Amino acid sequence: MIYLDSAATTMQKPPSVSRACVSAMRTMASPGRGGHRPAMLAARTAFACREEAAALFGVNEPENVVFTFNATHGLNIAIKSLVKRGDTVLISGYEHNAVTRPLHALGAVVKVAYGPLFQPEAMFRSFEEQLTPEVCAVVCNHVSNVFGYILPVERIAALCRARGVPFILDASQSAGCLPVDMSQLKAAFIAMPGHKGLYGPQGTGLLLCGTDTQPLLEGGTGSMSARQEMPDFLPDRLEAGTHNIPGIAGLLEGIRYVRREGPLKILERERRLMQTAAKGLSALPEITVYADPQGSAQAGVLSFQVGEMDCELVGEALGKCGIAVRAGLHCSPLAHRSAGTYEKGTVRSSFSSFNSRLEAERLVWEIGHLNRKNSR
Amino acid sequence: MTYYLIVCRSLTYAQRTAEALERSGITAHIIRSPKVIDREGCSHSVKISERNLADALTVLARVGLTPKRIYIASRDGSYQEVLL
Repeated sequence: MIYLDSAATTMQKPPSVSRACVSAMRTMASPGRGGHRPAMLAARTAFACREEAAALFGVNEPENVVFTFNATHGLNIAIKSLVKRGDTVLISGYEHNAVTRPLHALGAVVKVAYGPLFQPEAMFRSFEEQLTPEVCAVVCNHVSNVFGYILPVERIAALCRARGVPFILDASQSAGCLPVDMSQLKAAFIAMPGHKGLYGPQGTGLLLCGTDTQPLLEGGTGSMSARQEMPDFLPDRLEAGTHNIPGIAGLLEGIRYVRREGPLKILERERRLMQTAAKGLSALPEITVYADPQGSAQAGVLSFQVGEMDCELVGEALGKCGIAVRAGLHCSPLAHRSAGTYEKGTVRSSFSSFNSRLEAERLVWEIGHLNRKNSR
Repeated sequence: MTYYLIVCRSLTYAQRTAEALERSGITAHIIRSPKVIDREGCSHSVKISERNLADALTVLARVGLTPKRIYIASRDGSYQEVLL
C-alpha cells in the first residue's frame, strides 16, 4: 500500500509511537485518579506530553496545553468559548466543516474572507477589508486540507491583535510541518489533531489556550471533587473524564519525533514529494493540477482532477492499484467553493515524512495509465 | 518524620512545582493530598522535607509558582497549616 492520505491521518508513524501506546496500556492507569504507581506513571506521561508540546509550540505554561480527542473537539471548545448566538465571526474561504458547522449550530453570523488559491497577499487584503468592528472572533485555517494552501496566518494574527479581536488558528494541517508559535501569534486558541503531522494515534488532539475557556464537557477531573462547578483552572477545566493515556503516550513519542526532525525539514521533504507529483501530473493530458506555481504557498497536499472522470472513481481505481488517496469534498465544501471545484470535487494526495519519491512517481504513473484507459 | 505538604490547585500544577524543586536540587514527591487538608476534595500536594521549606519557597517565588496552602505534618500524623 502506498499511503498518500496523510492529510486525513498519517498512517506510518515512528515505531516508538505504537510501542509507547502498547506500553501505556500495560502499565498506566489514569492521571489524577489515585496516588498509586500506575496512576502516577500516567500522570508523568501526560505532563511530559504537555511539556513537549509547549516547547514545540511556544506555549509558556504546560497547563495551557489541553488534551482533546481531535482538532474538531478543540475547535468546538475554542469557538464555543468565544462565540454566542448572533455574534459575527470572520473566517477564511478555506475552512473545514470543523469550523463552519459549530458556527452554524451556534447561530453565528459568518463573514467569509475569500481569495484565490495560492495568493496569500490577496487573502490578507480580504481579511483586512472584512475585519469590521462587529466581528467578535476570527477563525482561520493555517493550511487548507484540500489544496495545501498556506494562508498568511502570522499577518492575520497580527491584524487581529492590532484590532483587538481574538484569533483562533486551526493548525490541523500545519502542526508538525510548519512553525506554529503561540507566543508569537498570541492567538486565543490553536487547535490541532495529534494523529496527522504530530504522528500520534487517532483519538488525540491538542488545544493551546491563550484566553478564558468554557468547558464543552462537564464531569470528573480528579480535582476539587467536592464542588459541582468545573475547576476554573487549566487543563482540568477542559479535561473532564478519563484521559486517553495510550494515545497521549503515543502522541508524546510523535511530538518527540517532530522535534528531533524539525518541522521545516519535514515540510521540505513533503513539499518535494508534492512537487514531484504536481510536475508529473501536470505533464499528463487532461489533468487539472492545483499547485502553487511559486511553490512557497503550498505544503505537502496536492489536489487534482482527471479529465471528466468522477473523482470518487479515480480514488477507487487508485485504491485498487494499492494507492490510498482521498476524493470528494474533503469535509471542506467552502474550500471547494472558493477554488471553483465544488461541483466536481478533487482527488487529494497528501504526503508525510515517511513517503518516498518513488511513491510520488508511482502515483503519476498510475494516473497516466488510468487516463489512457479512460480516453480509449 | 516531619515534612511539609505544598497543596497545589491541580495535578499539573503539582507536577510543575515538583519539577521546579527537583531542578533546584530539592527532593519533591507528588502525593494525593490527605483528606483532612483537602478542603475542596481531591487535590495533589508536593511533599518536601522539613529542612527544605525556605529554599523551596525561594525557588517557587523565582519561577512564579504560588503554593495554594502549606501544611506541616507532625510525627503524630496531624497536619497544621503554615501561615506564610
